[in-house]
Amino acid sequence: MPVYSLEIIVVALGLVMLLVDAFVNLTDKRSIAWIGMLGLLVVFGLLFMVETPENTDSVFWKFYAPDDSYALFFKGIAVLTTLVVLIMGANFSKVVVEQTAAAAKGAHPQAGLGEFFALPMFTCAGLMWMASANNLVSIFVALETVTISFYVLVAYLRRNVGSLEAGVKYLILGALSTGFLVYGFAWLFGITGSMELPVIAEKLSSPDVNATASLFAFALILVALAFKVGAAPFHLWIPDVYQGSPTPITAFLSVASKAAGFIIFLRLSAPFLASGSLVGKVTFVLTIIAILTLLIGNLAAMPQKNFKRLLAYSSIAHAGFLVMALASSPVKGTANALTPATVITFYLGAYLLMTLLAFLVMAVVRSSTTSEDLDSYKGLAKRSPFLAFAMLISMASLAGIPLTAGFFGKFFVFKLAAEAHQWLLLGAGILGAAAGFYYYLKIAASMFLSDSDSPESEPIAIDGITRFAMIILIVAIFAAGINPNLIIGLLT
Amino acid sequence: MTFLFFIFAALALIGGIGVVAFKNPVSSAFSMVVSFLGLAALFIQLNAFLVGVLQILVYAGAIMVLFLFIIMLLDVPQEEKKKLPFFTALGAGGIVLAFIALLVVMLSRSEVGDKTLPALEATSGPGTSDVHKIGELLFSQYWFPIQVVGILLLVATVGVVVLSKRELK
Repeated sequence: MPVYSLEIIVVALGLVMLLVDAFVNLTDKRSIAWIGMLGLLVVFGLLFMVETPENTDSVFWKFYAPDDSYALFFKGIAVLTTLVVLIMGANFSKVVVEQTAAAAKGAHPQAGLGEFFALPMFTCAGLMWMASANNLVSIFVALETVTISFYVLVAYLRRNVGSLEAGVKYLILGALSTGFLVYGFAWLFGITGSMELPVIAEKLSSPDVNATASLFAFALILVALAFKVGAAPFHLWIPDVYQGSPTPITAFLSVASKAAGFIIFLRLSAPFLASGSLVGKVTFVLTIIAILTLLIGNLAAMPQKNFKRLLAYSSIAHAGFLVMALASSPVKGTANALTPATVITFYLGAYLLMTLLAFLVMAVVRSSTTSEDLDSYKGLAKRSPFLAFAMLISMASLAGIPLTAGFFGKFFVFKLAAEAHQWLLLGAGILGAAAGFYYYLKIAASMFLSDSDSPESEPIAIDGITRFAMIILIVAIFAAGINPNLIIGLLT
Repeated sequence: MTFLFFIFAALALIGGIGVVAFKNPVSSAFSMVVSFLGLAALFIQLNAFLVGVLQILVYAGAIMVLFLFIIMLLDVPQEEKKKLPFFTALGAGGIVLAFIALLVVMLSRSEVGDKTLPALEATSGPGTSDVHKIGELLFSQYWFPIQVVGILLLVATVGVVVLSKRELK
């Protein structure tokens, strides 16, 4: 089965879901989400069976990287995240129905819900194309497919002012960052005369490359990419947009969009980092961005009272660790199994598990308390020991406690930084990780310790599939935390 | 030719500033038309005739007419005068000036503009028009991005319906 058929299947699934929504009379529109979940499970299985055709001469392969295990891994991230987003969306459907436009007379009472499940499928296809894109044109169109579907999804709750505000902010800032990206691409094309990344890499590493112009192109592209992954000083949109979006979409943004942003980041910065005349300055800029992001993300997370906002700052902090890995490219000549690309991929795999777990718990708690404040987690252990346990694992992993996947993520990043002699960066990273311990474990402590003044005390019901998804995620966090080769092995 | 370039570049820039500066939405829309005309002329000077013509036909023609219709129909009121806080204005102005300075330095120091980029190639013989060449390239070399753009437009259509219909069916 050829690699590119996966995206075709995902798009076809999305179309089927749209058509079912339009033409089949369903009593409960959540069944549309079930179609998507089943389909995505099949696609995830197919990921292990795809192969690149032998003949990759045709023009298609100029836009789509052939034979790339990293791309496959990132496609796995996209598919899994979309799957969990659909599960969360099904849990969240009551809020969606309440806060989109009113149903017309005689229309289905759940009008507008079908599209909420169908749109993430197209986003998923876009993310998968991003993972494989090796041409400026395909990077751009795939990125725009993802971004435009996010504009819609973020603003989906039309009758909720927060969601609309988030949508407008995301739209304006996203359009601005796209402008920077295209301008940077134009410069890159002007310097190298090509849109294909392999050719660009070749041209940039030749000694007579125009260094000033190349660095300017890199700076412009960096602005856009830092915006997409939420690195300081282009992170300001993250807390507001994360807080305002529907919870499943926040999870989607913080995992899939960030992961896809990083694979583009890796691909676009690789030619610059491989060029002898540019690598010094590029690394310097990346180091500054990493230090800023680590400090701002971690320190600003400490006083947060709203759980979604806390996770938003935490996602900025994790972007800091990821840029830190990127800024620690090994010194030339030292052979090392752990390249920044491997470390970033591992980190994102671990980040996927723990963040999705946190969001799943949050979606369930949110549906029973109607509040996203940290106070509503007080005494959660009494109301639902299972949810509290899941949250504890997720927080421990996000903080980076040994035996969890998050520990090895941070460990590998620090190891890379030490090997690259980036001491200042390493200091900022350790400071950030220490701050992380405080705010992640503060939540864990409040769930277990303060049970006397909890506002509500009824137990929380969890449906079977959500519980199953949580158990899988918990097991995966421990498995990757005990043997990180489980994830790294997938890359080779 | 350089003389014409500066005239049309100035036209595009003045139009762009007008879009932001005018308080009346109709004036803003017309400034946008001016800006598009300037841009179209720049494209034509670069021998990109089709892009230039499309800029006028599609953007200045169809899309701007639609914009004006909507502004007139909704009777969008004039924007209120808002005073920018001093430091916001200072910061924004500073960033704009710094970026302009950077561009001036960049353009004077790099020789990128002196290079000639390859002309449009198409398998059809010489003398075929721009439209022909671009069409052929799009559907032979660039067919994959075109398909992705198709999905993008589908997403945008679904999104517009969901976000803007008064009552959902």
